[in-house]
Amino acid sequence: MVGKSKVSKGVTRKTSSRPMTNRRMFATMIFGAVFRRRSRAVMAVVSSLVGAATLFCLAAVCLVVPQQMNDEMRAYGANLIVTPSESGASKGGMSADVIRQATSLVTARGSAKSATYRYETVRINSAPYVLGGINASEVRNLNQHWVVDGAWPSAGKVLIGRDVADAMGLQIGSTMTIAYRASDNAGSSSGSASGSSGSVSGSSSSTDGSADNSQSADATQNQVQSQSNSQQTRDGRVSSDIMEGGGTEFEVAGIVDTGGSEDEIVYADESDVAKLAGQRGADVVEYSSSADANGLGSIVKAINADASLGVKAQQVTKITSSNTRIITMLQTLFWLVSVVVLVLTLVGVSTTMASIVSQRRNEIGLRKALGASSASVGTEFYVESAFYGLIGGVLGTAVGYAFARILCQTVFDRGLAFNWLLGIGSVVLSILIAVLASVIPVRRASRIDPAIVLREE
Amino acid sequence: MLLELDHISKIYGSLHAVDDLSLTVPEGEWLAIVGSSGSGKTTLMNMIGCMDTPSKGSVSLEGRKLEDLNASQLADVRKNLIGLVFQKFYLVPHLTAVENVMVAQYYHSVVNEKQAMEALDKVGLAERAHHLPGQLSGGEQQRVCIARALINCPKLILADEPTGNLDEKNEKIVLDLFRDLHKQGTTIIVVTHDALVASCAEREIMLNHGVLVGEKWNDEEARAAYEAAGGKPASTGSKAEGAQSGDTPVGFADPTKAAKTGAEPLSE
Repeated sequence: MVGKSKVSKGVTRKTSSRPMTNRRMFATMIFGAVFRRRSRAVMAVVSSLVGAATLFCLAAVCLVVPQQMNDEMRAYGANLIVTPSESGASKGGMSADVIRQATSLVTARGSAKSATYRYETVRINSAPYVLGGINASEVRNLNQHWVVDGAWPSAGKVLIGRDVADAMGLQIGSTMTIAYRASDNAGSSSGSASGSSGSVSGSSSSTDGSADNSQSADATQNQVQSQSNSQQTRDGRVSSDIMEGGGTEFEVAGIVDTGGSEDEIVYADESDVAKLAGQRGADVVEYSSSADANGLGSIVKAINADASLGVKAQQVTKITSSNTRIITMLQTLFWLVSVVVLVLTLVGVSTTMASIVSQRRNEIGLRKALGASSASVGTEFYVESAFYGLIGGVLGTAVGYAFARILCQTVFDRGLAFNWLLGIGSVVLSILIAVLASVIPVRRASRIDPAIVLREE
Repeated sequence: MLLELDHISKIYGSLHAVDDLSLTVPEGEWLAIVGSSGSGKTTLMNMIGCMDTPSKGSVSLEGRKLEDLNASQLADVRKNLIGLVFQKFYLVPHLTAVENVMVAQYYHSVVNEKQAMEALDKVGLAERAHHLPGQLSGGEQQRVCIARALINCPKLILADEPTGNLDEKNEKIVLDLFRDLHKQGTTIIVVTHDALVASCAEREIMLNHGVLVGEKWNDEEARAAYEAAGGKPASTGSKAEGAQSGDTPVGFADPTKAAKTGAEPLSE
């Protein structure tokens, strides 16, 4: 009896410090079921973990792939081109100012890469060819699909198309002489000399002056055989026609093979073209915009509506629409797979829950014999299932994110930021699935007559 | 009368698990239902405990006919009036002893840990209150069961083979607990095939294949009080051989008792 009173004291202390309410008793029962039956709980958690991980991983990839595809597709060149309009004062190409304004209109709808091109007709071994003046790094960035053998153009070195190389038997390191004849370019020489505006003209004349010096320096560097000849050529080109045999010597830095019209063009650095044909603006600006088809449409409208720019924008529809179609197909495929996984998860989790519930039939019978209603037994089991779903969902989302990240890193070579909305969605879905999956087994079990359950075993 | 069974039968196909039994139990009585395995004792107990319904006849608890009640009302009767003690203990395995006792409070009304601890103290298990059932011996588990049955102060304790899985020492502890309860005025119905357990009761009825075959009183004072209150002997309408069908109780010699004691009658 002495011991008894001691115990009673202990009990009183315990009780007063932590009063047990019905709500706490409910929590205690759930806690007991989850943490004192760890092997079963682990089974339930693992089944919802697998489901949540698979779903999160799929959904994350699903969201990333179109973005990735879009980027990949954009590596195949421009989806928007801007050219001088026929009516505009564009004989000298587009001025830097115009290009800046057009670019700002494009970037207003999403990030964009751009490159400018200036085209001149030149003579190489008397035959006419198109010479493109480019900024190598811009064009390289925009057209990642270009297969370039050797190097991109730089001062005194050109990049020639595959067809040009084949026609003239040129290889990397070969030299070629390019001559410019103003008459080939339908009177654009005077335009190029004067520029499209006064300010450009002024600056171009001053550059002209310095260009002579740099031309000599470049010539030395490129081991052009005759500097005086080069100088003559230049003078001849600027002033009037020149007979065959004149021209500037360039070295072939690389050969480009795209399978398209680029194969017939010789690309030189824009400053080299300016030296050869005089200063003027670009003929074409290509943009690769991240905007979708609708966005591109509105960019085109915005640029075309601004008559003061004197330029015309066009959408390169081929890439845009095929891009969209492939992305849609991929997305559909991914969502279909997701639905299948969702159904499989539901089946897996419900089988697990059914086995857990059936193992506890006696307990359900006992609770009912103690006066529990079917509803209160159901509530306990649903909350417990939700708990499994919560733990499984959180762990599964983490695992799914890790997988998705690894996948994105290895397949697409890009990082993956954690999508909180998707994460929360995945956890909520896991909880819902776990509760849904336990509805049938719990309803079946809670309908059982307690006498039948207690008589078994 | 606390409990009235009026010609109840439980029929499974052609098997009469309980055959036309009439029985009245006044408040405060300690009744033992004896019989060999398969004699219908547990079926009878389930019907009294609102866990099963009779195929024929009616069961009344405190004057309320159970067949008129729906499932939730039956659950209410079960939790308010009856304390159940099972042979296999049936404790929730992942809850501690005191939590198992509190489960009964939880479904009954309000959880009170102090009361639960007192109930465990009463069965001598206060020190084991925070152990899981798996950490308790059979006798300790059964005592937790009894504490759980007592916690809501039921009018009727229904015990199905309460000592069936216990050794003698624990059997004695459990029977002493029943004696205390009986003294406090709780009605106890014990289903058992053990004559020693049955002999502790005031009154015994014997079933054989679902048929009432005998009734005897171990406490004549209780019998006199029962009869004075208008209580009638148990009876059956069954025509089976040996059935106690009249108004006169038929005495019986308990076969297990004879087997255990070498045919010598064992006095209290």
